[in-house]
Amino acid sequence: MSQDDFFIGWADTPRTDRRFFLGAGLALLGGTGAIAAAVASAQNRPGPGTWAMGDVREWRGFASAAPYPILRLGTADDPPDFALLGCQGKCGVSARIGSHAGTPVIVKGSLIERGPYKMIAVVDGMDWIRADEDTTDAAAPLPDLETLGEVTLRGEILDSKCWFGAMSPNQGKVHKACASLCIRGGIPPAFYVQDRRDQKALMIMTDSGLAHSRDLLEFVADPVEIAGTLQRQGPLFLLDSPVSAIRRV
Amino acid sequence: MAHDYKAVQWTPFKTRFDLWMLGGITLYLVVFVAISAVAQPAGEAFAPVQILIRALGTLAFLLLTFILCIGPLARLTDRFKPFLYNRRHLGVTTFLIALLHAALVTLWYHGFSETNPFVSLLISNPRYDSISGFPFESLGLIALIILFLMAATSHDFWNANLGPGLWKALHMGVYVAYALLIAHIALGAIQFERHPLYVTLLCAGSVTVIGLHLFTGLASLRPAHRTEHEGWLKVADLTDMQDGRAKIVRPKYGEAIAIFRDGNTISAVSNVCRHQGGPLGEGKIVDGCITCPWHGFQYRMEDGQSPPPFTEKIATYATRIIDATVYVNPEPNAPGTPQPPSLIVDPA
Repeated sequence: MSQDDFFIGWADTPRTDRRFFLGAGLALLGGTGAIAAAVASAQNRPGPGTWAMGDVREWRGFASAAPYPILRLGTADDPPDFALLGCQGKCGVSARIGSHAGTPVIVKGSLIERGPYKMIAVVDGMDWIRADEDTTDAAAPLPDLETLGEVTLRGEILDSKCWFGAMSPNQGKVHKACASLCIRGGIPPAFYVQDRRDQKALMIMTDSGLAHSRDLLEFVADPVEIAGTLQRQGPLFLLDSPVSAIRRV
Repeated sequence: MAHDYKAVQWTPFKTRFDLWMLGGITLYLVVFVAISAVAQPAGEAFAPVQILIRALGTLAFLLLTFILCIGPLARLTDRFKPFLYNRRHLGVTTFLIALLHAALVTLWYHGFSETNPFVSLLISNPRYDSISGFPFESLGLIALIILFLMAATSHDFWNANLGPGLWKALHMGVYVAYALLIAHIALGAIQFERHPLYVTLLCAGSVTVIGLHLFTGLASLRPAHRTEHEGWLKVADLTDMQDGRAKIVRPKYGEAIAIFRDGNTISAVSNVCRHQGGPLGEGKIVDGCITCPWHGFQYRMEDGQSPPPFTEKIATYATRIIDATVYVNPEPNAPGTPQPPSLIVDPA
């Protein structure tokens, strides 16, 4: 090393160090860009859900409160279609639906949608729901519950709102806290199953036909196996089982 | 040095270094966000906040990995000393990036509910008895607190007031933070993101950091077989003593000793810089002063004191020359004690 090669931060940078620093800096910049591109490209696919958060609209339908607040969209002449109901944050609307349950209503909110699955994130305040007094083409409730059989399935318990499109990504351990808060707040829990042939299914979870208690929370976002009864209500699939029938795998 | 304190003692090099650093950080974030936002199948999109969470989290890991490699690389080649000189700015920046990552996570995943976000952070996953289910957020939180303590005390004011020993011990916490960060990622994001690239990056980063530290650490711990003469340790023959440079001797007990040659004189001081423990023996005599290779702190050869107005002091050692061979007394003088140099009568 020559006399002038010794680097001192407060003095002029030696020529050797300037040249090395330039080369290393350029290499690090190139590496940084390449790693950023590789890491970003390797992420799991985000999934197709969307939330039209700014598009607040009114939705006509027939409201139900149990097991979870749900709106059967359209009239009796329309094909059965549904939208779960949630608030703007991580909460349900069970405590706010009151006497509107079991009646035709108009709900104000924005649509969260993933394929056939819908949730309406209703607006804050008292005017999110009102009675639909137009009786010319009355709304109709969801069809009766139909039992399809006993099943044992492996999958993941998640919250329906995030999976429908409120968040993306919306599964797995990194989303566990969020899913727990949503379900704790009243968002319907859902069981998501994906088999080896990439066939996917989503079922809303109930316990003896009612909403699950907070006992469910300890299993949220973990790989679990559930033994329960598969049910169908129009286009909506439900998995009815007690928490005791859930085990981690 | 220690006579006054400014928020940042800017030098032209620090300015250039920080511009490069900010350029790299901006490039990483722009590329990550752009690819995450654009290169997705039709009809699918990440939430912008979640893209930022991932971009900031991965960037913090990469930056911390790089920071931890700087020290051993600077021991292997002088060319990395410029990186080491401004490592503090990299560290504080890494803390700020990690803080932003944590803030967005707390807001997005733990906010928007009746539960306090910070309470949610601690109670949302109680599976402390499971490895795969372990609440990785708590590991990240502890790592962030350590990084905060380090960033908050990174200024020389704290180094001077806490004392080099305590300050150094506190800042060794970066290795605990890095281990926690590795566990945070391994038990968190990688449990869901299964692309081999993530495991590869995590392993490559941690193995590189551990490997470099082991390699350089073991080299410096290598026992020195020093010939003794009446209790004095042999340093080197005069012909091997390069002018303006030092030989380092590691006595059986105590700190390593740096023995410098400056023209016709030989002097010895502690090898440990009072500032951040830099290896003075890898430094050089500049303007008649021993100059630390890390941050340019200087000490007079004759008494181990920094030139006025600076006040740092290091231990000095007695030296002598017998038959053109340099010896050093391993018993240190108190820091700042004048010690006459040995004169080379017949310069080699």
